Amino acid sequence: MKIDRNNILTALSILAFFLFVWWGNHHLTAYAVRIWEDTLIFLMLAAGYNLINGVAGQFSLEPNGFVAIGAYVTAILILTPAQKESMFIIEPMVPWLAHLHMSFLPALIIGGIVTAIVGFILGFPVFRVRGDYLAIVTLGFGLTIRVVSNNTITITNGALGLKGLPTYTNIWWCAVWAVLAMIVIMRIVDSAFGRAMKAIRDDEDAAIAMGINTLWMKQIAFVTAAFFEGVGGGLLASLITIISPTVFTFFLTFELLIIIVVGGLGSMTGTVIATVLVVWGSELLRVVEQPMNIFGLHIPGIPGMRMVVFSILLIVVMIFAREGIMGQREFSWDWLLNKIKGKRA
Amino acid sequence: MSEVILKCDRLTMRFGGLTAVRDFSIEIKEHMIFGLIGPNGAGKTTAFNMITGNLKPTEGRIYFYGQDITGLKPYKIVSLGMARTFQNIRLFSNLSVLENVLTGFHHKLKYNLIDAILRTPRFYKYESQMKEEGMALLESVRLADKANFRASELPYGERRKVEIARALATGPKLLLLDEPAAGMNPQETLDLMYFIQEVKDKFNLTVFLIEHDMKFVMNLCETIAVLDHGVKIAEGKPEEIRTNPEVIKAYLGDINA
Repeated sequence: MKIDRNNILTALSILAFFLFVWWGNHHLTAYAVRIWEDTLIFLMLAAGYNLINGVAGQFSLEPNGFVAIGAYVTAILILTPAQKESMFIIEPMVPWLAHLHMSFLPALIIGGIVTAIVGFILGFPVFRVRGDYLAIVTLGFGLTIRVVSNNTITITNGALGLKGLPTYTNIWWCAVWAVLAMIVIMRIVDSAFGRAMKAIRDDEDAAIAMGINTLWMKQIAFVTAAFFEGVGGGLLASLITIISPTVFTFFLTFELLIIIVVGGLGSMTGTVIATVLVVWGSELLRVVEQPMNIFGLHIPGIPGMRMVVFSILLIVVMIFAREGIMGQREFSWDWLLNKIKGKRA
Repeated sequence: MSEVILKCDRLTMRFGGLTAVRDFSIEIKEHMIFGLIGPNGAGKTTAFNMITGNLKPTEGRIYFYGQDITGLKPYKIVSLGMARTFQNIRLFSNLSVLENVLTGFHHKLKYNLIDAILRTPRFYKYESQMKEEGMALLESVRLADKANFRASELPYGERRKVEIARALATGPKLLLLDEPAAGMNPQETLDLMYFIQEVKDKFNLTVFLIEHDMKFVMNLCETIAVLDHGVKIAEGKPEEIRTNPEVIKAYLGDINA
């Protein structure tokens, strides 16, 4: 009975969210819609990243690599053969890819699946190491993807990148995928699999002694994250319409890392809050990159100042709230209803 | 005559030039409490780690109910019915006591990832079944009132009990305890002694433990083996071990030296 009530409340709030999306799509400015799209894509990326980093406790730095793979796969699939022919001016594209063309949904899903397969294969070597070493090898993966995309000219068009992608991504695509990602990830977390992942995070050797196949659990987290990061990459590609090896750098990973650390490692609720804070915050902070006059002192616009502000924010969080905004806690309907009842009483 | 549950046949473990354990052979029969003692660095934990699959022995074989388990992965060995605790208590500190116990059920999980994502009836059925079993287990070791505490909030003595309860959740026939009384005061030690005895009878277990506390071992174990410098120097009943000159030498040094 109680579980039913919570499920109904969750379903209602998802419905309310989609109603808001529908309303926003008609009434918000194009700029506001664009920020919502960014927020939702980042939410999806960060939720996946939090599954592997926060829940399973495997500190890794690979999301920019996964996002890049998803973006490239989706981009190649949605470009028309004519576009590809005119774009690949250094060397022509390999024929079997040049003629491939499909609509957005299958392209996104294939992007996600290809990324998940890469994640699965990558998981075997990288999970042979733990802790800081894992961070280093996964950081290397992100860099490797960049070098590979720069040099496989017949597939990715090298440093020239892919331009003029059709803009299929709209707020609906972002909203549906983000909600789907959150549901899947939160259900994994709230099951025996999530418990096993948390056990690995707290003490891997003890988890092994409990009969948990730790490699398999890490792989589940990694592959799930890879799938949604790949799809997120596809959505981003069609949103920004131009991708090149320099688009998905380590700064993307860094931004996601800020989100999950500020929100609270292991807390999906925290991820939602922090995504909104960071994405909207970075829009508000555009001011600091503009030329400014402070008391007659002229400061020219410095690109990258926002990153400085974020770094300071991260340091402040590390000092004053080491567990992030939510720690490992999650929002629950029981908690909210108790609060409301408590106030009434 | 009861059945042999664990047999180690000339186990040897070398780390580079160091031989931590040499030609270690024991036989443990069902329903006994078997103790392994020895001075610091004698290779007791190494022997344990070989048996539970954390280390692969350089030489020798391990048989569990006659089945050769040498070199099997630890999680496979757990599913055969062997569980362990650690010298320094290793609970999942951010999980609740109940969740700690539930991780022990993981190797016999009856639903898969798809069930979890789609929330099928199977998921709900087995999830609530697991929670009931977990609570029943906590009930039987009198920790039910602590079920929703975070493991890190419990006092030391109770944490040890939770660790044993967690090991019991895997459904073991053989329970390996690595220095269960380490860091406990005399009262807690006494308490633990009764606890192990009680758990052993209730769950029909065989217990194999490493311990430093002589009183604990002498009172609890039916058979004791002594390791010194990686070699088994004695095996027998507590009173035999107590008077064995080799053992006294290992612990107190040679009188004639």
